[in-house]
Amino acid sequence: MSSLSSLVVLAQAAAGEVGSGRIQGGWGFVWVSYGITWGALALYSLSLWIRRPKNSPVGPKE
Amino acid sequence: MGKFFRMALPPIALGLLAVGHYIGLFVAPPDREMGDVQRIMYAHVPAVWVALVGLTLNFICSVTYLFKQSWKTDSLAEASAEVGLMFGAVGVLLGAIWGKPTWGVYWTWDPRLTTAAIMLVTYMGYMALRRFVEDPEKRATWSSVVGIISAVNLPIIWFSVKWWRSLHQVQSSPKTVDPEMVVPLRVSAFAFLAFMILFIIHRYRIAQYERQLEVALPEALPGDGAGANRTAGAA
Amino acid sequence: MSRPRPIGILRAALVLLGKDLLIEWRTRARLNALVFFALSTLLLFSFALGPDTKLLERNAGGYLWLAILFASTLSLGESFRIEYENACMDGLRLAPADARAIFLSKAVGNTLLLVLLGSLLIPVMVALYGVKVVLGVGELMATLVLGCMALAAPGSVYAAIANNARARDVLLPLLLFPLIVPALLAATKAMALVLQGDPMDQLGSWFGLLGGFNLIYWGLGFLLFPRVIED
Repeated sequence: MSSLSSLVVLAQAAAGEVGSGRIQGGWGFVWVSYGITWGALALYSLSLWIRRPKNSPVGPKE
Repeated sequence: MGKFFRMALPPIALGLLAVGHYIGLFVAPPDREMGDVQRIMYAHVPAVWVALVGLTLNFICSVTYLFKQSWKTDSLAEASAEVGLMFGAVGVLLGAIWGKPTWGVYWTWDPRLTTAAIMLVTYMGYMALRRFVEDPEKRATWSSVVGIISAVNLPIIWFSVKWWRSLHQVQSSPKTVDPEMVVPLRVSAFAFLAFMILFIIHRYRIAQYERQLEVALPEALPGDGAGANRTAGAA
Repeated sequence: MSRPRPIGILRAALVLLGKDLLIEWRTRARLNALVFFALSTLLLFSFALGPDTKLLERNAGGYLWLAILFASTLSLGESFRIEYENACMDGLRLAPADARAIFLSKAVGNTLLLVLLGSLLIPVMVALYGVKVVLGVGELMATLVLGCMALAAPGSVYAAIANNARARDVLLPLLLFPLIVPALLAATKAMALVLQGDPMDQLGSWFGLLGGFNLIYWGLGFLLFPRVIED
């Protein structure tokens, strides 16, 4: 009986030492990715703005 | 109608993006195995989805142009290729960044990544072709041919993870993704779609304007008689 | 204009092919230049990659295909340049030949040229890289033919386009290379199996892949080529 309870204690102690199997942190990668995303959207918008038609285009309805 | 879209889309797109990414970054739970790094999904996946949509639109325009020549179709083809390429580049770049902590490498030559890299170079070639051909009609015809041939790769990219053993995971769907992650993914996807439509509309107008400058004479319109009342660029 | 019956296209293609081969044979300049270029490419690989014979032997198939690919950018461009000098292309279009016959003749002609080039390179590859042909000559030639077909079909379409654009020498490789990457991969893998043996019987699936590419690209080329050369 006591061997069973000591086994349980040992098992619980061991479980605490095994990692959660998950990558820790990594927020750096996340911020770089989102930064690139938002930056690309902004830069492309800017490039569309810079290239915009100079005068209001005559004629073509969309 | 176009004016409504141009006025309404920017706030819609920005709003959806803000909501989707806020939830994705701060509300959605971290992945069981990948932890917080998995949050890149809310930018990487919508970017690639939207790139494929844009490039498929280019394919449709390319086929359409060969049946009925129209500057509108050609301009739409040019716009959808450039926008699709931009989102595709962002998507692949984000994928590489995501790969470093999860797979241990920025790049590997598995089917999904290889075909994605091919897609990027292919459509860069498409844009180069458009820049190097001076005759607008020839440019439109040849771009259509190259657009059709280039589009053969697109379904291969999509199905590569299903057909071959790939390091990349299979397609995300609500069946395979945790419900708490589906919401930010969907919202972000719609945000990217709104940006795509907005970008294509504006890029289309730029292309139409350039056609007008090139094709100053009504007689030069493809398949069209000399209509003195028609303004240049209308098709 | 009445649509030519299929037998008309094939016969026209054969006639055009005969013309191209005759021109080639009379000058032989293009073939000579190609052979020397491809030979030097093979040599350069062994210099650049160093004397590690195991490495060279393992990758010999890849080097062979790269040499053929680089040579093809020269030969594909050439195959259309002769038409545009002296406005021969206009003459071809005015003749009752269907444009699709022109495509067939160009694509088949380019295939034959590349297969001939590859056949000449294989003994050099065997000597330089110390490989043996483990599987039979049949498998070797099948690999060569399928790979060259996969290069020549889209290459002919793109060469016709690139020849009329600015920066034509850059444009052809830029358009063609990403397109043929999957075919190149399959051809290289197949060649590696031919040279090193195929214990797991994979050659068939690589041939299947190459066959699939050929079907798609020859089909698309056949359909789209008329639009490329129309005026």
